[in-house]
Amino acid sequence: MAFEIDNIFKTYQMGGVEVPALRGVSLKVDKNEYIAIMGPSGSGKSTLMNIIGCLDIPTSGHYFLEGEDVSTLKDDQLAVIRNKRIGFVFQTFNLIPRSNIFHNVELPLIYSGLPASRRRKLAEEAIEKVGLSDRIKHKPNELSGGQRQRVAIARALVNNPSIILADEPTGNLDSATGEEIMGIFDQLHKAGNTIILVTHEHDIAEHAHRVVKLKDGLVESDEIVRNGRYAEALQDA
Amino acid sequence: MQSFSDTIESLKIALQAIKANKARGLLTTLGIIIGIVAVVTTMTAANGLENSFKESISVLGSDVLYVSRTPWVHSGRWFEFRNRQNLTLKEADKLKIQLKKAVAVNPLTETRRSIKYRSRVIDDVSIVGTTDKHIVVSSGVPDYGRFLNHYDVEYKHFVCVIGSEVKKRLFETVDPINKKMKVGRYDFRVVGVMEQQGGAGMFGGPNFDMQIYIPITSFMKAFGGRDRDFDFVVKAPSTEALPDFEYELVGEMRKIRKLKPTDKDDFSINQMSTLVAAYNNVMGVVVMIGLLITGVSLFVGGIGVMNIMFVSVTERTREIGIRKAIGAKRRTILTQFLFESSVICLLGGLAGVILSFGVTALINSTVMPASISIPIVIVALAISVLVGVFSGIIPAYRASRLNPIEALRYE
Ligand SMILES: Nc1ncnc2c1ncn2[C@@H]1O[C@H](COP(=O)(O)OP(=O)(O)OP(=O)(O)O)[C@@H](O)[C@H]1O
Ligand SMILES: [Mg+2]
Repeated sequence: MAFEIDNIFKTYQMGGVEVPALRGVSLKVDKNEYIAIMGPSGSGKSTLMNIIGCLDIPTSGHYFLEGEDVSTLKDDQLAVIRNKRIGFVFQTFNLIPRSNIFHNVELPLIYSGLPASRRRKLAEEAIEKVGLSDRIKHKPNELSGGQRQRVAIARALVNNPSIILADEPTGNLDSATGEEIMGIFDQLHKAGNTIILVTHEHDIAEHAHRVVKLKDGLVESDEIVRNGRYAEALQDA
Repeated sequence: MQSFSDTIESLKIALQAIKANKARGLLTTLGIIIGIVAVVTTMTAANGLENSFKESISVLGSDVLYVSRTPWVHSGRWFEFRNRQNLTLKEADKLKIQLKKAVAVNPLTETRRSIKYRSRVIDDVSIVGTTDKHIVVSSGVPDYGRFLNHYDVEYKHFVCVIGSEVKKRLFETVDPINKKMKVGRYDFRVVGVMEQQGGAGMFGGPNFDMQIYIPITSFMKAFGGRDRDFDFVVKAPSTEALPDFEYELVGEMRKIRKLKPTDKDDFSINQMSTLVAAYNNVMGVVVMIGLLITGVSLFVGGIGVMNIMFVSVTERTREIGIRKAIGAKRRTILTQFLFESSVICLLGGLAGVILSFGVTALINSTVMPASISIPIVIVALAISVLVGVFSGIIPAYRASRLNPIEALRYE
């Protein structure tokens, strides 16, 4: 089991008004699953991803990450989990503009206190995996959108996390570039990673072998995709 | 616990941020710069004053008492002393005989006159009438030539011994020994030049290097002696004996003045420690003013830096969000911004120290000898870092508490 969320609620306060974003979501995810979360805008996909990624805590309900209840942890404890066990890829890349590619990818390792030589090795490996070894000294603004997202992926996987989360990773990319990025996720999945991504596009969702649909803060459907391109992979699992 | 690499990273980010906003940083550090210049200059000036003071006071000697008509230091109570009789040479002679313990009793009197050698004139120079005992009671010795001897005093010779600065300014490269110079309207023959004693008269005190010594007898002949007031310089057997010695001195003086037991003293005993107290007062005021300026400018500077730090935090909200999302702890963010504000202030402090060297050079060439010491520099830099930490702490704390999701959403 990679993680389990149990009857999670998330309610935002907006000027005295309560906005329910999640209204009792439960989900069990095994190791090496490849899940797409879909649903209309405002259905709570990002809210759910943020909670799974320990960027936020639920208003109620429980979240067990590899068996450990992390729904009640404090700020700094969550920071450690985000650092060591979560790899997050954002729609808007979220790279640090002043730092070069290498430094961006190295950053999580700095925060986990690894020595420089070890950091160098791991960061170079991660950059190699996303095929950007020749751009290592470049700044983010010298790269294309697809390349920036690759850097973000390298940063997400550099700490060898338990789960890789991606909230609309292809949302800002054209479809060809989006496909390239999905190719990387496919490889990561093949290599044994657990991947969860949010998407509006069916082509993208097709890469996953399980699709969870949200609506109005609830799970509307949760099904294994047998006719997907990765049906065989699923059968092996 | 924060790791080392983490701290280095914080420092690097801080330096990067400062580099990216040089002009802004420079403006905000202005207050810090002024504050540091103020504190360094104050401390340096205080040091300089103390040195010059100690130097001039050491000339007076710590085992010497001055009998005078009025105290050296009195805060506007002159009316209490106005009816006092002048001290006379006769009284000095009596004291010499009666106070057997005294190593020496030297009467002194002073006037101010123009002096002239050939065409060169210096106005308003201190002319001291004294005796051969002068070099017993003070630490000054002749550099070359000789001091006044008792024949000069006894036979009213018109000879003089000049201070080192008088020599420099009046005679320049000429050897003054046996040259005739004019003191007021009279010709005096130079017999000696005193060693340089330093201690420019900072507090209106005497500048010994600008004095001219002549026999007290010739003094009276030349400048009149009837109503003249004298000081008696009395040397005690030792510094330790000074308190007892002072007691006896007062007793003998009262006898000479024929005072009844109920009468108050109608003379004053002065000594170095009186000057020290006065000096400490002056010093206290100088330091207070300096610290006030320092405090105000550092406060204003600190507020400026705090303001800039709030701007910096706001500008980098998204970056803070990113860093937190990938695992930066509160403390990491806190350190990053504290480093930034401290380094800004440290740079301001450095600029201030460099400026202070200029200011000190100016003081050195005009007012008094002064030099910046290493401890002063260290204290100044430490203060600027402290201001940095204080002015950065609130913005940095706020940054460290940002919610990562909200920070990431910030445009
Ligand atoms: N910080 C917040 N404060 C108040 N309401 C919020 C906040 N974040 C999300 N919401 C609300 O919660 C609901 C779910 O938002 P969420 O961002 O999870 O939707 P989503 O499924 O990711 O939508 P999209 O496809 O547009 O990204 C929405 O109604 C949204 O307005
Ligand atoms: Mg969303």
